[in-house]
Amino acid sequence: MENVTNVASATTAETRSAASAAAAAAATATAAGTSPAAKHAAPKRITAKTITDDEFFFGHKACAGCGGSLAVRAALKVLGPNAICALPAGCMSAVGFNFPQLCFANNAIITPFAATASVLSGIEAGLRAQGIKPDDCTVVGFAGDGGTADIGIQALSGAIDRNDDILYICYDNEAYMNTGIQKSSLTPFGAKTTTTPAGKNAHGCLTQKKNMFEIVAAHGIPYAATATIGYLPDFMSKVQKAASIKGTKYIHVMAPCPTGWGCSVDETVELAKDVVDCGLWYLAEYEGPEVSGKPGGAFTLNRNPREFASVEAYLRRQGRFRALTDEEIASVVAGRDAKWETLRSACC
Amino acid sequence: MKRFLSGDEALAEGVRLARPQVISAYPITPQTVVVERLSEMVEAGQLKAEYIHVESEHSALSAAMGASATGARTFTATSSQGLLYMAEVLTYAAGGRFPIVMMNANRATALPWNIYGDQRDSLALLDHGWIQAYVQDNQEALDMALMAYAIAEDPRVSTPFMVNLDGFALTHTYENVEIPTPEEADAFLPPFRTDNKFNFENPVNMGYSAGPEYNRYFKYWAHRDMMGASEVIAEVEARFAEAFGRRYPGLVEAYRAEDADVVLVTLGSIAGLVRSVVDELRAEGVRAGLVRIRYMRPFPARELTRALANAQAVGVLEKDVSFGAEGTVFTNVNSALQQAGDVVPTVNFVGGLGGDDITPDQVRGAFATLRRAAAGESGPSAPKIVSRETIPTESSERAAGLSTADKNVSRETSTQRRVVFLGVDDAEGGR
Amino acid sequence: MIEVLWHGRGGQGAFTAARLLGAAASMRDGAYALAFPSFGPERRGAPMRAFTKIDDSAIGDRSAIKRADFVVYLDDTLLDASDDAWARELKPSGRVLVNSVRRFADPRIVALDANGISAEILGRPIPNTVFLGALSVLCDAVRVEDVVEAIHQYMPAKLHEKNERIVEAAREQLLAERSNALTSAPCESVGADVDACPSTDTAENAENVSRETLQAENVGGTTETVGQDAAASAAAPAIDADVSRETSDVVRSCAHIPVLRSHLAEPPSLDPADYARTTCYPAGHLVAKNAGWRNERPVVSAAACTGCLQCYLYCPDGAVFKTSDDATAVEIDYDFCKGCGICVKACKFNAIGMIPESEALAAAAQHAAVAQPAACASESEVSAR
Repeated sequence: MENVTNVASATTAETRSAASAAAAAAATATAAGTSPAAKHAAPKRITAKTITDDEFFFGHKACAGCGGSLAVRAALKVLGPNAICALPAGCMSAVGFNFPQLCFANNAIITPFAATASVLSGIEAGLRAQGIKPDDCTVVGFAGDGGTADIGIQALSGAIDRNDDILYICYDNEAYMNTGIQKSSLTPFGAKTTTTPAGKNAHGCLTQKKNMFEIVAAHGIPYAATATIGYLPDFMSKVQKAASIKGTKYIHVMAPCPTGWGCSVDETVELAKDVVDCGLWYLAEYEGPEVSGKPGGAFTLNRNPREFASVEAYLRRQGRFRALTDEEIASVVAGRDAKWETLRSACC
Repeated sequence: MKRFLSGDEALAEGVRLARPQVISAYPITPQTVVVERLSEMVEAGQLKAEYIHVESEHSALSAAMGASATGARTFTATSSQGLLYMAEVLTYAAGGRFPIVMMNANRATALPWNIYGDQRDSLALLDHGWIQAYVQDNQEALDMALMAYAIAEDPRVSTPFMVNLDGFALTHTYENVEIPTPEEADAFLPPFRTDNKFNFENPVNMGYSAGPEYNRYFKYWAHRDMMGASEVIAEVEARFAEAFGRRYPGLVEAYRAEDADVVLVTLGSIAGLVRSVVDELRAEGVRAGLVRIRYMRPFPARELTRALANAQAVGVLEKDVSFGAEGTVFTNVNSALQQAGDVVPTVNFVGGLGGDDITPDQVRGAFATLRRAAAGESGPSAPKIVSRETIPTESSERAAGLSTADKNVSRETSTQRRVVFLGVDDAEGGR
Repeated sequence: MIEVLWHGRGGQGAFTAARLLGAAASMRDGAYALAFPSFGPERRGAPMRAFTKIDDSAIGDRSAIKRADFVVYLDDTLLDASDDAWARELKPSGRVLVNSVRRFADPRIVALDANGISAEILGRPIPNTVFLGALSVLCDAVRVEDVVEAIHQYMPAKLHEKNERIVEAAREQLLAERSNALTSAPCESVGADVDACPSTDTAENAENVSRETLQAENVGGTTETVGQDAAASAAAPAIDADVSRETSDVVRSCAHIPVLRSHLAEPPSLDPADYARTTCYPAGHLVAKNAGWRNERPVVSAAACTGCLQCYLYCPDGAVFKTSDDATAVEIDYDFCKGCGICVKACKFNAIGMIPESEALAAAAQHAAVAQPAACASESEVSAR
């Protein structure tokens, strides 16, 4: 389980000293970050010991154990005080921005639901037009699965097309959780939501999860990655790498929701590991033509386990999959195997 | 410098002179020429701005809002369905008090699908918190682009601004326009300064939610500051007259209305036609007048009632109708008159829908209807109208000893159908 | 009108109870009821309220209840005895019903071991329906047969029989305690917090409430039991932390972090003429802690902690923070810890355990009162020593 070693932008061994954020940022560049599109050399890998003590998303009203809030917290610790955040309607804006309880320590704004990417584009253009954008300013969006794969996909596609210099992070909790667990196009097959109830005729969601990572990569985006809050160092190094690349970046981070998934509040991080270990989610990166130097860009599979953990165990520990039959679980396993066959032939 | 320009081109020249730093727009007929000209200006280096090629109107205004939140001067433009598509973002921009300037080419709304001019798009969005101005010619379009920024960005106002141009009648109609020099424009319009923006030294959270215990204050101040914009508009117009020699008359423009018996209230380019009909009628000895509404928000209730104080009948001519009720401008005008205690017969003339021509004969017919209304007449095919003299007031009722039943009858009469669809059910001047 | 105000934590079933009570009280002809939750951004675990209004004519007023005939606390950590705020929510003859094994001096407070009752019957403590039974005893407008009918109409079939038994048990216990109270000596202390030392049994129940058996309640109204077996109890870590530490006003030294307004030397204006003219306000401005969300808290064993910082890394709330002190690598910001327990699972060295909030608060109170080791140490603390 602890074998996520070949993470993004593999760099030197982590430092043992508890370096401050400033020291980490100023650390000598190594390995990655030498591509033509890189803005500046990538600093040393961020770990629990080296990461800043600063907290930029704090005091929020997210559910205890919320995976999405952990993703936002971790990303902002990597991006630092000059990041500007934009968040559409969704859990993280609802729990983070209720005047006068304002839980972002850095500049942040709520956007219309469909407009995460376009507000990001506007912010970036506004700073650039005025010549006031600091070197270490990442304009970053945090949108949920519905805000990304459903209502926000058009604006996201537009921003990638323009190659605006923004980082878009989709925290994927696999349903519209802010409104109380309704199906989105990233809800996986078999998941019970309030709009895909599990009854006699259907056992939850009948559709498959849309593959946003590949949709985004198909644009030829400079950088895209998948991640999970279960393997936080991997996610953070991807955020760090994205921040060093100019142009549009997209990170899709799996972020379990205890309320919507039907698990205990202390299980979200474990589930976020499990979903990778059982092969239903994969950790990968795409580097566009300019970053990878290859026409058509390059995919990297960060983890290619010889054996998967049990899909059934992963599904059975969540209330939302309780109605699934053994046959249905077998079909999920078959889907996983087919996907991995494609992945392996494409990447390895 | 004098140039023969379309309304779209004139407005684009005004925007160039205002030096927006970020432009984000999506093409739609009949606004398209504006974004084409601006793109050319940016390409040629005449305008130093970031031009964001957004993929929709919703994103156009969203990006403008994001840019405004960094303190940048921003511009966008749209029309009709595009305006409706960005409607959601209008409330965000207004609630966030981002002084974005937007040009809207007034165009019909589907269905039936129609690209021609009417005002149903912007009038449907009066309540979204934007200042709404309606211009009558291409010079005013250019000038309004400059004044719009001065008004919207004034810290007392800090409210987004929509400049409305009638589709085709203005956007695609050419006339001579005086273009100020960049130096003159810069002297009139200083760079945008605001505290309502991101700040790297002292970060801010923006555009947050606010529960019931706080929300009302945000709405109260949005309302209050919009009301206060009237004063700022007057100041800006005075400065504009000083800088460019063109004097604008404030929220409404009254033409031969002071001693008029019958006054037609309207907005946009059709005012030009009404003005010429007023002149003809005056030559015939008819005391006709025109009041042109330049700003629908803030609504010029006081200025209107003052301009209409002596009228014996008031008509409202608009390219809009709120189905099942009446024209929206008519509702607003009646409300202002009622609040002022001014009991005068009013008639709504709805025309020009989907680009339909409003003819001089129709305008003459409208004035004829108003004259009959002023005299207390009403015919079978015309709206039933009670004249100013015959509408009972409470004191006159008491004096006449009217019973409640009588009173109800007269109330009923006074609320008869008062909407005339030009070219469909008007008694006079039909096509 | 009879007004019932429910206090619970998001997910505890307070609104379900409010709804069932309303359904029961309006079952017969000529009876009317309204039931509604408080609406807010707070999530599961956060204190929330629900309301039931009962009358014999149609109820037009849909605003929140300010003063109630019955105020129910599904979680006794929500009943703050430090001032009389709880009493101000009561009508003159109003009464508090609280899920607690504590005993209260104030006769207006009726304690019921709702966790115990429901755990015995359901196998896990879901306290909400206990109070339906209690109210059927205390409130004439609520008939027990209607409560049973409401359970049948509005709960899943598999829960009918057990909840009927819960209602019956609640009635029996309440009636027994009432007669008991008439004969037994009154409690000694004043105020609500007479006996703050919970038994070990209760401590376990409290833990179960938060970790195992939350009833997920969405504002939309779906109710789902999302219980899972608690894994944490398997390996109880050594607890040697000072649980009596004063828990308020943690001061953290990092350069950037949202800060409580009360800690600001020059707080920004809250005059609407200043703030309400834009939506732009100083970042990271907090007016409320999240401490009230949890009913158990993590404690770190300095001896077992290796300083690996995984608890710090994986805390969704940033409530675990690094210390400059060499003795312990991390501390926990109890002002903002929601008690999710992710840190416990992240710790591979068994250096963090969860203890009931009531236990920690009791110890802190003792500590403050006598400035010496808490006389009322918990069972777990004693055994650890």
